Amino acid sequence: MRTIEPWVERPLTTFVAEAQVRVALLMTSSGMVVAQHGFTRSLDVMTAAALGAGIVASTREIAREMNAGTFGAVVHQGPRLGVYLMPFEMPTGTWIGLAVFGPDTSLGIVQLFFGRLVDDLGRDAPREAPARQVLPETFEDDLNQSLRALFGR
Amino acid sequence: MPLVNLTAREITCKLVYYGPGRCGKTTNLQYIHGRVPENRRGRMVSLATQSDRTLFFDFLPIELGVISGFTTRFQLYTVPGQVYYNATRRLVLQGADGVVFVADSQARRFDENVESFKNLQDNLLEQGVDIRQIPLVLQYNKQDLPPDLILSPAELDDTFNFRSVPSLPADALHGTGVFETLKALSTVVLQRLAARPPSL
Repeated sequence: MRTIEPWVERPLTTFVAEAQVRVALLMTSSGMVVAQHGFTRSLDVMTAAALGAGIVASTREIAREMNAGTFGAVVHQGPRLGVYLMPFEMPTGTWIGLAVFGPDTSLGIVQLFFGRLVDDLGRDAPREAPARQVLPETFEDDLNQSLRALFGR
Repeated sequence: MPLVNLTAREITCKLVYYGPGRCGKTTNLQYIHGRVPENRRGRMVSLATQSDRTLFFDFLPIELGVISGFTTRFQLYTVPGQVYYNATRRLVLQGADGVVFVADSQARRFDENVESFKNLQDNLLEQGVDIRQIPLVLQYNKQDLPPDLILSPAELDDTFNFRSVPSLPADALHGTGVFETLKALSTVVLQRLAARPPSL
């Protein structure tokens, strides 16, 4: 499990264990990863987050076009795996949860424990913004070196 | 705003390639995908129509490496260029840390470039972002075409570069200017981050 903020880890660990999901991902509405469980490669997590955020964004846009308020969860059920995708509000803005589950659990269970995850996150979220930290003074030199190394120019 | 993980020391930035239809946005990403070492990039995702026109977005995650102890990653997106896909353009633009505006240098495409640039300005404004504030790089693509068919970088600068941002001539199909463009935007975005303390 990897998380941006330490306080996210406990509720997400509980959710994964209780809902028996194979993959869990929390992201911001613009597709930035906040926490994840079950991925082996960070670049794959980013792809899943981009696609998940895209699905939620387009679903919300359809709801807006139809004057339907907001839609809730998006669920896709395949023969082996299901995907549950749900936006929710946090003090810092909209977050999106994505869970991939197999036949060892059910959509109802995932929904139930996802609701608890959202409650836990809302309760544990810091009331004040985290202390800000300035990047090192060498950042710009290191940046130029890395860009030259990657792009070879 | 770039997402900074102070615990795991990671920085993630969202960079968006914007421009009119068929200007070469997807070609930029395809070239980058083909040249960046496999261990530094993810799969390129293209949500395209049957005729390979971008329907929603193209997406390519790349890892820049460790900068001052921070593992730095970029999420590269393109938007669909066709005028009627504005709703999806707005969605992709949400939360962008920097924008490459890809202009088609062909003289006959000038009006479409202007329309797309205005559309970028409108869509940013709708998110409360002033185009004069967001990190922006201009790429003048298709500069390899015969000179009588295209506008020069100086002519295009006259119209689009009111901020004196980096502008680069390019031939994305063959890679000229592609990395230079990405490097220019990366530099502006990360310098801005270094100047302004990060937050979640």
